[in-house]
Amino acid sequence: MSNETTLVKDEIIAPENLADPAWVRIRDLIYTVSGIFQTENKFYLLVGRANRRMKVVGARTPREYLDFLTARPNRDAEIRNLLNEITIGETCLFRSIPQVDALRKVVIPTIAEAKKKLSFTKIRFWSAGCSTGEESYTLAMILQEETQTSLKGWTFEIVATDLNDRSVAKAQEGVYNDYAVRNIPPEFIKKYINKSGSDYRVADSLKSHITFSRMNLLDDSKMLFMRGIDVIFCCNVLIYFDGKSKTRTVQHFYNALSPNGYFFLGQSESLYGINDKFHLVHFPGTTAYWKPADGGLKVGTP
Amino acid sequence: MTTESLARLHNKISNLDALPTIPVILRPLLHCLDQPAEEIDIDRIVELISNDKSITAQCIRMANSALFMRNQPAETIRAAVMSLGIWRVRDLLFSNSLSKIIPAKSWVVDPEVFWRHSLGVALVCRKFAEMIDYPDPEKAYLAGLLHDMGTLVNCVVVPNEFRAAMEKATREHIPLDEAETAIMGFTHCDTGRILADAWKIPVDIADAIELHHRIGDPERGGPLVALVNLSDLLCRVCNLGYGYYEPRQVDFACEPGWLNLVMKFPSIANIDMARFTFALDEYARDVGDLVSSVFAS
Repeated sequence: MSNETTLVKDEIIAPENLADPAWVRIRDLIYTVSGIFQTENKFYLLVGRANRRMKVVGARTPREYLDFLTARPNRDAEIRNLLNEITIGETCLFRSIPQVDALRKVVIPTIAEAKKKLSFTKIRFWSAGCSTGEESYTLAMILQEETQTSLKGWTFEIVATDLNDRSVAKAQEGVYNDYAVRNIPPEFIKKYINKSGSDYRVADSLKSHITFSRMNLLDDSKMLFMRGIDVIFCCNVLIYFDGKSKTRTVQHFYNALSPNGYFFLGQSESLYGINDKFHLVHFPGTTAYWKPADGGLKVGTP
Repeated sequence: MTTESLARLHNKISNLDALPTIPVILRPLLHCLDQPAEEIDIDRIVELISNDKSITAQCIRMANSALFMRNQPAETIRAAVMSLGIWRVRDLLFSNSLSKIIPAKSWVVDPEVFWRHSLGVALVCRKFAEMIDYPDPEKAYLAGLLHDMGTLVNCVVVPNEFRAAMEKATREHIPLDEAETAIMGFTHCDTGRILADAWKIPVDIADAIELHHRIGDPERGGPLVALVNLSDLLCRVCNLGYGYYEPRQVDFACEPGWLNLVMKFPSIANIDMARFTFALDEYARDVGDLVSSVFAS
């Protein structure tokens, strides 16, 4: 899991280096193994980051590097290394604006509508694999904003878990650098961020809504206790799991969600072939997985 | 639309005598392209293009743009056509000809946004058709490209009402056809159908133009209607819509269009929609490049 918030400088890649067909095979391999899809216009990113790994292992061509990923004895470790490179530096607050918009304009209103009918007025989110807390605080800001405007009288709670103790400790601190806060809309900075020196500190009013704790998503006994969640975020975590563990964990997530709950993955991550109970749903500029209230009629499996 | 309002619409259009006429180049072009790719007569296409100075200039300019230029600049129409490929040329001819039916100042929607959406739907339609083994992906492409041609008719025939509908849709974040129905009593689907019939566009494409927002009617509309409906939806949730935010959740597996197709084309159930959606980024970029080159001054 990438905990770095440092700016990663990507090399400029000459177009002829992108043309090697082995890159498409590497891209497809990454998709099959991890569910992360690199579109053609992100190829320069994939190639730049794979180039760094190629230097480390001593592969001279993409074709040769493909061998390192598929045919060498330590191929699993190398795939992990490459995934680390690909996802490094992706953590910052308000990383995906389409996801934020989908939450505010569709997901939260839909959930609130359904819960209101049952006289519930509390919303629960789970940031699974919360790393150093950027996502958890983003969600807290959004929910705080909504409960002060359109959902007056509502309360919310965010459960944030990560495998790594140091990440959890850092998340609890809630102190970030200017790179991590660069996407936060100015009005949110004003309300929820205190600047001291070069540090940006998250306001305590947000922290009181979040419980950070260490948790292993592969620990069945712990996962069984997670229930009654409305929205789960789990970005760039499942990509490291093997197929069987992924299937099991996603089933746990499904069970943890209330009916009508939503499961968000990383921006270009997919659950294809992992779970057929969730419905893939589209929002403008982003997708998520939805747990229908009634099990849901579903004919195809997009 | 009720029979009464349809009659009124027909009446209005014929009274105004404002129904756009088919561009001279379009009918022979449609005829030329309505056959298997290997039988398309390149010489005939070159000849058609050479009859129209502005299209000639556009083809050559596009062939010589950084995006398409090969080793040396194309100086003849033939070289330009070879360099662009027959389907690119078709896209260019269609968008150019259709753009000409309305004067530059009459556009109610931003023409670049309109063409990005139309070409996006066309590309997605063809890709969808290929993925489900629909027998004629090029027809699907054409249906996608023309599906919103009623929008152009609206710009010419009912500009003020249509502007109000467009503003209502943008302001209230609702689908355009809903806003049109509320304000005008008919939609771009209805006016598109009238134009398609007047231009003698193949009937299954005309059906897709008319019914792509009214997929629920099981009596009407074959797979082409469903393909256009789904492609239009997908483009609208992938930043290739009409340029305004539609807060909505689309569950493709439960869409009526999807359910229609799954009976006849079972392979649709194997589509990895998540991956297709990610890959749409690429189409969006292609579409953007194409539209920019068509509209480059």
